[in-house]
Amino acid sequence: MAKPNKGYERVADWLIFAIIFWTLAVSFKTSEVLTVGDWDMWVDWKDREWWPLLYPLLCIGFPAISQAIFWKHFRLPIGATVSVLGLMVATWWSLYMGHMWWTNFPLTLVWSATLLPSALILDGVLLLTGNAVLTAIVGGSLFSIVFYPANWPMLAPFRLVVDHLGQLATVADVIGYTFTRTSMPEYLRIIERGTLRSFGENPAIVSALFSGFVSVIMYGVWYAIGMKLSELPRLKNAYGRYMGLAA
Amino acid sequence: MKRLGPIVAASLLLCGLASPPPAAAHGERNQEPFLRMRTAHWYDVTWSADKVKVNDEIELRGRLHMFSDWPKHLFPLGTVYLNLGVNGPVFVKVATYLNDVPMMQSTTLEYGKEYEFRIIAKARMPGRHHVHPMLNVEYAGPLLGPGKSIEVEGEAADFAFPLTTLDGIQIPNLETWQLGNIGRVHAYWLVLAFLWLGWWFRRGPRLLSRFRSIDGGKEESLLTGADRIAGAVIVVVALASVAFGMISTNAKYPRTSALQGGRVRVLPLPDEAEQVLVRHTRGVYQVPGRSLELTLKVTNKSANPVRLGEFTAANLRFVNRGVAAAAAGVPANYPDDLLARNGLVVTPDEPIPPGETREIKVQAADAAWETERLASLMGNPDSSYGALLFFFDPQGKRFVSEVSGPAIPSCTTL
Repeated sequence: MAKPNKGYERVADWLIFAIIFWTLAVSFKTSEVLTVGDWDMWVDWKDREWWPLLYPLLCIGFPAISQAIFWKHFRLPIGATVSVLGLMVATWWSLYMGHMWWTNFPLTLVWSATLLPSALILDGVLLLTGNAVLTAIVGGSLFSIVFYPANWPMLAPFRLVVDHLGQLATVADVIGYTFTRTSMPEYLRIIERGTLRSFGENPAIVSALFSGFVSVIMYGVWYAIGMKLSELPRLKNAYGRYMGLAA
Repeated sequence: MKRLGPIVAASLLLCGLASPPPAAAHGERNQEPFLRMRTAHWYDVTWSADKVKVNDEIELRGRLHMFSDWPKHLFPLGTVYLNLGVNGPVFVKVATYLNDVPMMQSTTLEYGKEYEFRIIAKARMPGRHHVHPMLNVEYAGPLLGPGKSIEVEGEAADFAFPLTTLDGIQIPNLETWQLGNIGRVHAYWLVLAFLWLGWWFRRGPRLLSRFRSIDGGKEESLLTGADRIAGAVIVVVALASVAFGMISTNAKYPRTSALQGGRVRVLPLPDEAEQVLVRHTRGVYQVPGRSLELTLKVTNKSANPVRLGEFTAANLRFVNRGVAAAAAGVPANYPDDLLARNGLVVTPDEPIPPGETREIKVQAADAAWETERLASLMGNPDSSYGALLFFFDPQGKRFVSEVSGPAIPSCTTL
C-alpha cells in the first residue's frame, strides 16, 4: 500500500472540512429560516412559549446529522459545534447584509440567539457516552433545556418594562413597534399563545422542558437519518491506493 | 474574441445588480383596483411637513373609511394593524392612534365605519422617502393610503431614540441598546467553541487518517483519556456558564415582563345618519378617454340643498372646482399625482333640493386611471368600482356617501 503524502493529505483534510462546513451552514440556515425563522429573526418574537419550544426543537436536526457523520467516519465529537458555527456564520451574514445593510433594520431588532452552549454540551455528551441513545436522552434534552437560560443574559434587558402610550410594554415590544416593518404587522406574531402555561409564573420552564423531551425523539430520528445519509455517496474509490486505502 | 460579448454582458449585469436604484415607492399601483377601491378609503390626509431633519417628527393624520361593499373574493375584514408605509425604517413610529386609541397592538374594524387616524413618525435615514399611512389587514395584505415624498436631511449616525424603563433605567438609544452585551455573550461562546474545535484540530483535522483508522477497525485508538477529560470539562464549563449567566442576569434585572401581544378595542366614530343616499344606476369606463362615467340616483335627506364636490377612489381625488368647499379641502402640498387635473364633471351640476331624488351623471376623466393602473379593474373578478362621494351644502358642511357598482368597458370614441 502506497504511503499517503502528508502535505496533500492536509490540504485534502481542510478541503473536505470546508465542504462539509459550508454545506451544513447553507442547508442549516435554509432549514432554520423556513421552519422557525421569525422567532429568532425579531426581538419581539422571542417569547416565553414558542421560541424556547420550537427553536431548539427544530434546530437539533442538523447537529444530529452532523454528529452522525463526524462520529461515524472520523470519530470526532464536533458535529454539533461545527453545524451550529455554520448556522451562526450564515445567520450573521444574513443579518448584516440582508437586515442591516440592505433594509436598515437596527441590530437591536434582529440580533440572533446562540445555540453554541447547546451544541457544546451535545458534543461533550456524545464523547463521554459514545452512544447515540444516551446522547439522545441526555444530550438531546439538554440541548433544548439550556437554550432559553443560555440566551437569557442577552434577552433580559429587552424584557424590561416601559410605559408606552399608556400601555405596559417591554423594550422588545417598543423596538418592534418603533422600527417600521411594513410586511410584519403586529398581528402576525405568534407569541405567548397556547396551553403550555405557567409554572412558577414562567411558561418558559414548561416550554423548555417539553422541548427537551421532544428533542430526545427528534435527535434520535435525525441521527439515524444522518447515519443513513452518510452511506449514500459511498462509491468505489478509484484513487484509494494513492490515499493509503486498501485497493 | 467570441467570449468577449458574454463576458461584457455578464459584467454589466453584475454592475447593475451591485448598484440597484433606490425604490421611489412601494408598488402601491401594482395592487389590484378592487383592493384599492373597495376596502380602506383614506381621505383628509395631511402631512405636517415636506422637509425635515434626522430626529425631527412629522405627523400624518386623516380619516379612514372601511368600505361596506368589501370584495367578496377577499377574506372578510378581521384583524388590522395601523402602520406606516415607508421603505423600511427610514422613518420610525413614535405613536399611532385610531380614534385616539394608541395602536401599538392590532385591533378589529367594522364595515362602513369611520375612524380618525394619527401617526407620529421620526426621521431616521436621510433621503427622499415616500410616506403613506398604511393598514395591514390580516389575510388581505397591506392597504396603502396616499403617499407623499418627504425630504430628510442630516446624518443617519445622529439618530437617537431614548427611552426610560419603569425601573428608571435610561436607554440612550433603542438602536444601539445592549449591543455590547450581545457581542460579549456571543464572543464568550465562540471562544469556547473554538477552544473545543482547537482541541480536536490541534494537529489539523486529520480527517483522512482518522477515516483510514476507522476503516481498519482501529477507532478505539482515536480517542484518549485526555480527550474524555476535555469532553467532561466542556460540558461542565458550558453548564456552569449557563447557570451563572442566568443567575447573574436575574440579579441584575429582577423585574422583567412577557412580550405584550394582546388586542386593543377601537370603537368607530358615531354614525352620522345617511343624509345623502346614492344609488348606482350605470357605470361605463371609456377606455380611449380614460374616463369613468357614472349614472347615479341621489336622494338628499338633509335640510339643505347639496352639490357633489368630490369623487375619491384608490386615493385618487376628482374635485368639482365649481364647489368652493370641495376645492378648499385640497391642501396646497397635496401630492400632484393623486389629484386629477381634469377634476370632476357633474351633469346637471345644480344643487339637489332637500327631500328630492335626482339622477346625475358623473364623469371622472384623467390619465391617472392608466398611470395609477386603475383601468385594470375591468380584469378584476367582479369588474366593479368603489368610491366615496363628498356632497356639500351651501354652508360648506360635508356629507360622505359610498357608491359602488359594476363598470362596463367601452372602446368607442367620445
